[in-house]
Amino acid sequence: MSAPDLSVEIAGVRLQNPVMSASGTFGYGMEYEPYLDLSILGAIVTKAVTLEERLGNPPPRVRETPAGMLNAIGLQNPGVEVFIRDKLPALRGVGVPVIVNISGRSVEEFVRVAQMLCVDGVAALEVNVSCPNVQEEGMYFGVDCDLTGRLTAAVVDACDRPVIVKLSPNVTDITSIARAAAEGGAHALSLINTLVGMSIDTERRRPHLGNVTGGLSGPAIRPIAVRMVHEVARAVDLPIIGMGGIANARDALEFILAGATAVAVGTMNFVEPSAMAAVIDGLADHCRRHGVARITDLVGALQVG
Amino acid sequence: MARALATLMLREEVAPGHYLLHTDCPEVAEASAPGQFVHLRVGDGTDPLLRRPFSVMLAQPATGEVQLLVRAVGRGTEIIATHQAGTRYDLLGPLGNGWGAPAGEANVLLVAGGVGVAPLIFLADHLRSAHPRPYVRALFGGGTQDALVCWTEFAARCEEFTAVTEDGSAGDQGLVTDALAPEIERSRPDMVYACGPDAMLAVVAGICAQAEVPCQVSMEQWMGCGVGACLGCAVPATAGGYVRVCTEGPVFGAEEIDWERMVGP
Ligand SMILES: Cc1cc2nc3c(=O)[nH]c(=O)nc-3n(C[C@H](O)[C@H](O)[C@H](O)COP(=O)(O)OP(=O)(O)OC[C@H]3O[C@@H](n4cnc5c(N)ncnc54)[C@H](O)[C@@H]3O)c2cc1C
Ligand SMILES: Cc1cc2nc3c(=O)[nH]c(=O)nc-3n(C[C@H](O)[C@H](O)[C@H](O)COP(=O)(O)O)c2cc1C
Ligand code: FES
Repeated sequence: MSAPDLSVEIAGVRLQNPVMSASGTFGYGMEYEPYLDLSILGAIVTKAVTLEERLGNPPPRVRETPAGMLNAIGLQNPGVEVFIRDKLPALRGVGVPVIVNISGRSVEEFVRVAQMLCVDGVAALEVNVSCPNVQEEGMYFGVDCDLTGRLTAAVVDACDRPVIVKLSPNVTDITSIARAAAEGGAHALSLINTLVGMSIDTERRRPHLGNVTGGLSGPAIRPIAVRMVHEVARAVDLPIIGMGGIANARDALEFILAGATAVAVGTMNFVEPSAMAAVIDGLADHCRRHGVARITDLVGALQVG
Repeated sequence: MARALATLMLREEVAPGHYLLHTDCPEVAEASAPGQFVHLRVGDGTDPLLRRPFSVMLAQPATGEVQLLVRAVGRGTEIIATHQAGTRYDLLGPLGNGWGAPAGEANVLLVAGGVGVAPLIFLADHLRSAHPRPYVRALFGGGTQDALVCWTEFAARCEEFTAVTEDGSAGDQGLVTDALAPEIERSRPDMVYACGPDAMLAVVAGICAQAEVPCQVSMEQWMGCGVGACLGCAVPATAGGYVRVCTEGPVFGAEEIDWERMVGP
């Protein structure tokens, strides 16, 4: 059998395979160049960028938990202008689509960032709705259908690039937020972001993280993430990028079978810098073993009952 | 920086709860500079999940040996404490920026707290080969005699060596930082190099600033990636914001760190 076709399309962007980095776990790409051939990736998703520089949260910012970790980085980034000037050129040079994760404190800030990112070398925007809106008493954009819908529509209007809305799992019903993003004009969805968590140093009677709470990621959250992809895939007709604790091709296939067109690897890059290469190879191997000609044949191929 | 496999040749319990790992790892032995660290994976499962950072204590390019000094404090290090010869470690390294060279004649003062001695042993070793007439003085502090781990290896590389313990079980009684100001006054070093707990480093930085002696410190912070990608290992910078221990550090000029925000109220 000839080599299986791993290519997929997300919101009009062609990817040579469905495997990309998860925002915030891969810096601006170049940090991992000594450990991984970046040109084999389906896409590179950057750390969140905001309008102005953000200094981030006080340390400690990370803490290991069972089969996972908590992080409270606080969206530290140099701001969109510095990103475009200092980080984007090298990323473009890799030759794979660059998806820029954006964040903001207000709809207007998202719009400004999106407008500024309508430049060569940016293939798509990923809208991080897991952040507080200062104009709505700090309510997270991503927990409210109306806010998510309005934010999505505003970003779609602001920039001609495809818009991927990244959903927060910290909600009662993720499908209603997914529908709101779809109605706002999102071209794709990615999920899940981290789950809010906390851990305590019992000797010192203090939280382990400087920020008290943080986002839980890693293998510990994978079953929740797979379930949410499964639900969202049945609720909306948009391509999905699935993530949450993916370490190998079998994990990635869970997401694909549940309905994800593509997958992202996050925390496991820290543990195994070549994890994405192993996922890509493993997907090809799986297709060969099962006589699958195109990886897209497996998207949502889950059989229930 | 690269990816390497190290094979454990010998694990010595050099003090209660402290293990000296003699590993065979030619790539890291060749490439390491004093003050750099390796990011080591303990096992291949999810417990522990993340890699653990350890300073290189000695690197011998001629034999391929890399020595790491590990204090058992938690899940990962307690597993390492049980490892037998032949265990293979997957490492990233050497990582980070090591110690900067001293100005002038290498008339230097090394200040170590407990397991913080590891990168200073490598530094002392390096100064002896890199400088024609090094003069290395060391202050080594710990709670008890047991915490003065690998002190013979350290003392052997120094012209003058003073031990200080809080309970007086070895050397002078007190805190290593109590001995620092008089020592600086006496020997006027060109550079002070320090590694140990944050609270110790903060005091060392203050004393050196007061005495107008340049000082470098090696910092610790919990890490995610170890390669600059996650921004997890941030420590507060004097210039505002944060710097990454894994990438800008672990060695910093003491004046680069905002000690007030570092140590907290
Ligand atoms: C650059 C650098 C160099 C280091 N060099 C050495 C060395 O040469 N020898 C040595 O014994 N240790 C060194 N450490 C500390 C070592 O990394 C931690 O002790 C180790 O990661 C603890 O892992 P664990 O699973 O046993 O502990 P865990 O179960 O993860 O935690 C137990 C306790 O260890 C401490 N701890 C955990 N992770 C870190 C960390 N990354 N940095 C500081 N403290 C931590 C915390 O106080 C925690 O409560 C270094 C740390 C850094 C950042
Ligand atoms: C250290 C760290 C930083 C992150 N930063 C961002 C970010 O800036 N924007 C974002 O949308 N998601 C961010 N995430 C979430 C990840 O992109 C991903 O959604 C989540 O970690 C689940 O995937 P994983 O289990 O494979 O890590 C971050 C995660 C981690 C661990
Ligand atoms: S540990 Fe990830 S940036 Fe330093």
